[in-house]
Amino acid sequence: MDNERKLTIARAMAEATAQEMRNDPRVFVMGEDIGELGGVFGNTRGLLEEFGKTRVRDTPISETGFIGAAVGAAQDGMRPVVELMFVDFFGVCFDAIYNLMAKNTYFSGGNFNVPMVLMTSTGGGYSDAGQHSQCLYGSFAHLPGMKVVSPSNAYDAKGLMTAAIRDPNPVIYMYHKGLQGMGWLGTEAGAITHVPEEAYEVEIGKAAIPREGSDVTIVSIAQGVHHGLKAAKTLEEQGISAEVVDLRSLVPLDRETIRASVAKTGRLIVVDEDYHSFGVSGEIIATVTETNMADLKAPPKRIAYPDVPIPFARVMEQHCLPNADKIVAAAREVCKAPVSA
Amino acid sequence: MATNITIPSDLWEGGEESVITAWLASDGAKIAEGALIAEIMTAKVQHEITAPATGTLSIAKAQDEVVAKGDVIGSIS
Amino acid sequence: MQPSKQTLAWMYEMMVTSRRFENAIEKIYMEGKTPVFNMANGPIPGEMHLSDGQEPVAVGVCAHLNPEDIVTATHRPHHQAIAKGVNLKKMAAEIFGKSTGLSGGRGGHMHIFDPDVNFACSGIIGQGMGPAAGAALSRKIQGKPGVAVSFIGEGAANQGAFHETLNLAAVWKLPMVLVVEDNAWGISVSKEASTAIARNADRAAAYGIPGHYVSGNDPLKIYEVAGEAIARARAGDGPTLIEIETYRLAGHFMGDAEGYRPEGEKDALFEKDPIPAMRETLLDGGSFTADELDTLETKAQKAVDDAISFARESADPQPEDALTAVFA
Repeated sequence: MDNERKLTIARAMAEATAQEMRNDPRVFVMGEDIGELGGVFGNTRGLLEEFGKTRVRDTPISETGFIGAAVGAAQDGMRPVVELMFVDFFGVCFDAIYNLMAKNTYFSGGNFNVPMVLMTSTGGGYSDAGQHSQCLYGSFAHLPGMKVVSPSNAYDAKGLMTAAIRDPNPVIYMYHKGLQGMGWLGTEAGAITHVPEEAYEVEIGKAAIPREGSDVTIVSIAQGVHHGLKAAKTLEEQGISAEVVDLRSLVPLDRETIRASVAKTGRLIVVDEDYHSFGVSGEIIATVTETNMADLKAPPKRIAYPDVPIPFARVMEQHCLPNADKIVAAAREVCKAPVSA
Repeated sequence: MATNITIPSDLWEGGEESVITAWLASDGAKIAEGALIAEIMTAKVQHEITAPATGTLSIAKAQDEVVAKGDVIGSIS
Repeated sequence: MQPSKQTLAWMYEMMVTSRRFENAIEKIYMEGKTPVFNMANGPIPGEMHLSDGQEPVAVGVCAHLNPEDIVTATHRPHHQAIAKGVNLKKMAAEIFGKSTGLSGGRGGHMHIFDPDVNFACSGIIGQGMGPAAGAALSRKIQGKPGVAVSFIGEGAANQGAFHETLNLAAVWKLPMVLVVEDNAWGISVSKEASTAIARNADRAAAYGIPGHYVSGNDPLKIYEVAGEAIARARAGDGPTLIEIETYRLAGHFMGDAEGYRPEGEKDALFEKDPIPAMRETLLDGGSFTADELDTLETKAQKAVDDAISFARESADPQPEDALTAVFA
């Protein structure tokens, strides 16, 4: 490829934000350690140097304060990009997120818009324990009024951030820590992809199919997509053709793509790093069973985090997390392939 | 005549090794001089490696490999 | 209020135990993490927030506490846990994620719970304040003795919970002391950049309670001010806010390159290391001989060595243990 340039997700997020800030003076960034430090997870690198302290604002540890402020600023015509450092911190500010940010458009009959992006880190697997490792996809996707996206690779990361900033609606932009490319959290090579230099959007609400297949559909988002792709490679060697659907967005959910894939393969496995019950995996399964029962050759399966707080010790955490092996075993089961020794 | 991509010896203080945490271009890709092509990390700090020349990239050391100052991690020809 | 010789010995021993413990943990934490610093690797994975330099706060306050008193602490808890009398072996085992740990490996370094000495800590900023107030309330309702101490950082003073809890504790006259450890940094953001006033202790006025600022990271000054506040709480006179200047000799977390700290700041702080300073004070005061202090240091080192050995030799939990202890 000519002029190939790959980026990590962290760099892609920062690049998208910088490009929008150059074009649109209404865009500004706030959050903890997003200025001088460039973000604990590297997603605001270079912004303070280029745009200065007025538009790139390190905040006190006051989430209710500055996220509430972002709502007000957005309603007043600005385009804030705010960071909630770990999604697990949502507890201290969920009122500002779900009673204000998500509902004010509706309460005002559309007379007020809240064009803001709330970016937040998700995910575990590196022993950060129960208050620093959650995904909470379900908690955010469940509440009406906010879009929710989560990229699995740098190309989507930049495009979704651009789309999110330009969207007149509030968007929760969830970035998985294991995919950022930070170095101190290990690197998922599959997340480092070519990213065009020019600005572009990835449509919010549209899933992607990074791998086509015919025997079983594996649906996931963010880190789960990479587990699915690794599983699909192993399954191919075992004679099973797996299709991997990368949701990219939870809200709006691309139900059409999910249904079309299952119509093709007849088998569904959902991979969800969020808690098992009352969440994303159940929603995806219901999406298929409500309308496409006739397509199913086997009951749907989900590989989701058990309904327990996330444990610290490595053996326990790894026991709970979805991984490629679990997906392979599930796929073999639904395809009624003999289980290997 | 290929130009080596070498870990600069003045990039950080001390003799500790680093690890290639990300290649930001693929083997065989066409690269412009000065382009950011890799990220490496010493114990605490991330460093950028830029292309010393324009041409086609050939990767010698893979992501996650440990490299020391002076090591050649690839070349451009 | 001057500490007795016994108390001074305890304070010194606890400071040394704490520092030696942090030194040991720091070394072990780096096992498996060089040259590739991947937080997931090694016998102690995950994040690690060390308390080097902040020992005076822990000993100056906890010298006045009994096992029945309650302490809540933060993501940087080791010095306070040690000073509160948390079982060091089980705490080390918990940090290693072993089955013999305080929580069987479920909590790790940020989630240390010891019911025997009423100690708990957690990882969300400001989180420990409400529970401390609640424990104080519980004792008050039951007419049982006990003071609750909540340790927070100066960054947490900008969280809603700070204001709500202080107001609640004041309005209900709870036997509580809120101790702000001012190490001047909230990860990469300085106190000046984040806080509208120079001293959080002045915020006490907003809640009609006493507020004190203690500068210089001096365990004896802290002991005096904390003693008054805790006595006040025990007497039923309500809460106090204390803010203590201390020094964060470590980074925010292990792996923090600290590029945001002005050059020379850390070196200057190391020269004010409170442990050698305390040793000098005790020797100069004439109440201790060098031998006596050496004996305390040896004792401290042994406690740390025993705890680390216990942790290393303990078994990992069973993977399925992840699914238990969710409900009582």
